Amino acid sequence: MRLWDGDSGVSIVNPENRIFSWKSIPRSSRIILITTMIIVVLITPNLAEGYYESSWEQIEKNTENNYNSAIIDENGDAWVFGDNGEIVFGEKMEQWVNFESPTNENLVTAHANNERIVAAGNNGIVIYKEYNSEEWIEIRMETQIDINSVSINSNNEIFVVSNNGEIWCFKEDNWVEIESLVSEKLNDIVFEGERGLISGSSGLILGSENNGENWEIRETPDEVTDSEIIAIDFYGINRGYAITSNGEILKSTQEELTTTVGYNWYLKEIESENQSTSLDVNLTSLEVLSTTKILLSGDNGYIALSKDGGNIVTPQLLPIEGDFSINDIAMKNAFVGIIVGDNGTILYTENGGEDSAVGFEIIDLSDFSEFVDFTKDNLLEGLKATVKIVIFGILLGFFIGIALAMCKTAPTTLKQMIEGDLERTLTLFWVIIPSTIFCIRIYGLGLGILSLSGLIILFSLLNYYINKNKIEKEGFLSISIPNGYRTNLIRILGLTLLIGMPLIGKWEIKGGIELIYTALSDFYSFHLGSNTFKLSAQIAYIFAPIGDPSAFMRLILGVGVTYLGLLFLTTNGTFSKKYIPYGKLVFISLLWVIILAEIFIDPNSSGDKITSWFDLGWRLFLVLIGLLVTKRILPKEIKSVLKNSNDYTLTFEPWKIRPLQVIATLYTDFFRNTPLLVQFMFIHFGLQLGKHIQNIGLDLTSDLITISSLLGPLDSLLHPTIDYISESLFGPGKRSYLSAIFALGLNSAAYQCETIRGAIAAIPSGQMEAGRSIGLTYMGTMRLIILPQAIRICIPPLGNEMVNLVLNSSLASVIAYTELTRQGKLVVAITFQIFWTWGMVMIAYFVVTWSLALLLRRLEEKTRIPGLGISGGN
Amino acid sequence: MEEIVLEIENLEKIYPGGVHAVRGISFNVKKGESVAIIGSSGSGKSTILRCINRLIEPTKGTIKLNDQIVNNPLADVNEIRSKIGMVFQSFELFSHLTVLDNITLGLRHVRGLKREEAEENALKVLERVDMLDRIEAFPGNLSGGQKQRVAIARALAMHPEAILFDEPTSALDPELIGSVLQTIRSLANEGMTMVIVTHEINFARDVADRIIYMDKGIIAEQGPSKILESPKSERLKQFLSSMDEEI
Repeated sequence: MRLWDGDSGVSIVNPENRIFSWKSIPRSSRIILITTMIIVVLITPNLAEGYYESSWEQIEKNTENNYNSAIIDENGDAWVFGDNGEIVFGEKMEQWVNFESPTNENLVTAHANNERIVAAGNNGIVIYKEYNSEEWIEIRMETQIDINSVSINSNNEIFVVSNNGEIWCFKEDNWVEIESLVSEKLNDIVFEGERGLISGSSGLILGSENNGENWEIRETPDEVTDSEIIAIDFYGINRGYAITSNGEILKSTQEELTTTVGYNWYLKEIESENQSTSLDVNLTSLEVLSTTKILLSGDNGYIALSKDGGNIVTPQLLPIEGDFSINDIAMKNAFVGIIVGDNGTILYTENGGEDSAVGFEIIDLSDFSEFVDFTKDNLLEGLKATVKIVIFGILLGFFIGIALAMCKTAPTTLKQMIEGDLERTLTLFWVIIPSTIFCIRIYGLGLGILSLSGLIILFSLLNYYINKNKIEKEGFLSISIPNGYRTNLIRILGLTLLIGMPLIGKWEIKGGIELIYTALSDFYSFHLGSNTFKLSAQIAYIFAPIGDPSAFMRLILGVGVTYLGLLFLTTNGTFSKKYIPYGKLVFISLLWVIILAEIFIDPNSSGDKITSWFDLGWRLFLVLIGLLVTKRILPKEIKSVLKNSNDYTLTFEPWKIRPLQVIATLYTDFFRNTPLLVQFMFIHFGLQLGKHIQNIGLDLTSDLITISSLLGPLDSLLHPTIDYISESLFGPGKRSYLSAIFALGLNSAAYQCETIRGAIAAIPSGQMEAGRSIGLTYMGTMRLIILPQAIRICIPPLGNEMVNLVLNSSLASVIAYTELTRQGKLVVAITFQIFWTWGMVMIAYFVVTWSLALLLRRLEEKTRIPGLGISGGN
Repeated sequence: MEEIVLEIENLEKIYPGGVHAVRGISFNVKKGESVAIIGSSGSGKSTILRCINRLIEPTKGTIKLNDQIVNNPLADVNEIRSKIGMVFQSFELFSHLTVLDNITLGLRHVRGLKREEAEENALKVLERVDMLDRIEAFPGNLSGGQKQRVAIARALAMHPEAILFDEPTSALDPELIGSVLQTIRSLANEGMTMVIVTHEINFARDVADRIIYMDKGIIAEQGPSKILESPKSERLKQFLSSMDEEI
């Protein structure tokens, strides 16, 4: 690792002394290191010990007949109906016998209510049996249609549905056709109270509110217009479910108080199928066990359970092999029931069809080794997450910190910018900044910033090449303004800063005065202060910046620009100190006006003795402050006002300000004067920085992918790389990650800047002199001479900063980033082992931080300059 | 007529605190001439030197190097500074670089030479100051005299038009002074234009073509080295006698 040798190749550190040089590790250690890594990577422990087994038990079959339908009747007995009129009776689902059937037609559907059981099938066969009777009675329909589904309404009337949109009702011993107004194949019919639902092909759902007398079409999602809605069912009065032959699940709920269930159907996005709406299974039946628990059956031995209303649908195991279809489900309650299928299959469950877990250890969390086993994955995940944000945070903080330190120590004063570098300054204000503003307005912020940097780089390069090797540089880009015009140009610059560019529409740039005026009037419109003429009455205005952040920005910008504008406008070309005669007197008088107003104007006086003691104290305090300030600022003898009016003049040196230093100070003052926790929350929840960066990143990724697609063969290599990087940086759920990195990095930069600045200040000024006297530029001396030495000085305090950063990363837990601390909280919530959990978290942090500290110690040793400094030892 | 390398005219410097360090100095330095500036502390010697290469900005006056105004705001300061070498009282070697790298830094980054070329030049210059045996050493491992010789080599390597010496031997033990003075003497003999601020009166007498005595910010007396034998002004007499007492 080379330190700060830039492009000079100067070997600051001997190759043998480099920290991570492969050669510096002795051969034996290298072998051990490689072997260990291979072992760790190849040998992964075998974790799986438990397994699942099916909770379905097969009822011994005595036929290869297809069983098409099953119901559980009021007595808890099961009836199974199959081809060729076969009826199987399962008393309490324990004893299974064949029941005498009056028909040989295929029975495909059945239903039971509290009075009778009814079954129906091909060629118009309908049979029913009352509970108190032992016989099945046939009530075949005259029109020998193939019946697809049968149900009974609340009036005990039997309803059947068939192909071609036919609905028939058996009432008063007669079959009556019900008008359906549709011609699709109708697959299923079900009643709940007086409400009925029919499902059919082409995404059809019909509903009835009057026990099946009238049916109307219910709206279904567009996506199912090609699907056959195979089955439909109510659950209670506020849930309805339907399934399609394409494996889709439809759901209906009670939307508002006025709409009942069955009107609004929507397609369920199945989370366990990656938000797809289809299970990719040919579904045959569904049974709703509770509001959220549903069983689904399908072709090829498919039986699946969902416990959350269709979000996660898990196929369950069956104890038999074979690609036969499961045709119907009949559950007595949420746990006990049967499923029937082709080839005489009947399966029974007492567990709601859910696979049972066998051999899984029940973890005793009060045993420490089991606790560690259980939690160590979580904590490892947390550790990885912490390391990720720490690394990026340190890098961001370091580089921004160096940039800030450079800005703060940059010696370019305003005077130098205007006097020596007038051409460059004019280009900046009249060319670069307006073009950037227009660019931002037209193309958006991202491109605008890019254009700003691009323009700056372009102009700097041009200037460098044009002015290279010239003894006396001729202005900027060889444009040199002759002496006579310089002062006037400065004044014109000042004027433009004050009034801006008063063009129309989006070509308008506001000047300083207008910026201040609009910002203040925006603030004033909040009416935060009261009408009293005292300072404390207006104190609520301190919060105005967040009421309108853009106004606050405009205010700051406006103040800066106006200040510069006035300064430039009133210059006389000498760039010297400014004097305000009697300025100090004016200042002191203002101060006393404010204090006296505070003390004497008092509309809210309550006259209560207790509060007025506090008021008295406050007023005395203000007077005291006033006296102290006056004594400090005004000269000692008041008599001297007659002799020496110079004593009252306020002098200041406006040309000595360093613009870069001002900007850097604004930054560091903000980040060092607010707590990190609050910064985290402000940045993530307030500014939503993570979201914005994510969006920028995704835009950038799509742009890169577009570019990459133009590169032909390279694309197959680049595209997945771009995708992978984009996923890991900008993927879903990465918002808090990005916010955490930026909050940590930006905050740390402010502190690191001060540390680096201190280290730079510790370098004797003679080094800068020596560097400059051989002709190096300021930046050159910084880069080659000052910074290499300063870095060594600031390694211990920077190490401190980095350790702080690692520990501060635990604050990222408040923005829901699951790093180590948050994992700790989660583990405590699951296991309730508070001491152990937090103990493990502490140890993890210690290990990380201590390794970092050790690393930095080694870095310090390796970069020690022989003979320089007191570092202990030789 | 020998060309004038350095021309200082009416140089004035007032420090921000109000200290009037230099109150109007004018003098010239011709090519190949070595000028020694002597005087007591606070007389403005170091200030003048630093004004010449603009490490300190003069308040008034003009400084010219080969007819080019140094303290013009538009002038390319770095270019000018690379033509004026400076040797400091506190050596100011770059302590994180070896002796060789100290010399080559300027050559590579200011003059733009390649590494090999720069090292060639550096070795030549180091030979001249007799420091070839320590080129891989770090400044922290050198004695004072060695450091100062390296500093002189560093200034020489840039082939300057003139070299400024700011009390080059003030920080050295008497035993070590000898080697440094010898180096400077040989430079003078080879015709390098020099301005030396020094306390070593004997050395000034020996090496300098012209001596400038400064007192309280103005030139009290200047002339060839024999003014040290027979000072004309009262102040110089006092100064020399006080120096004699010390020795």
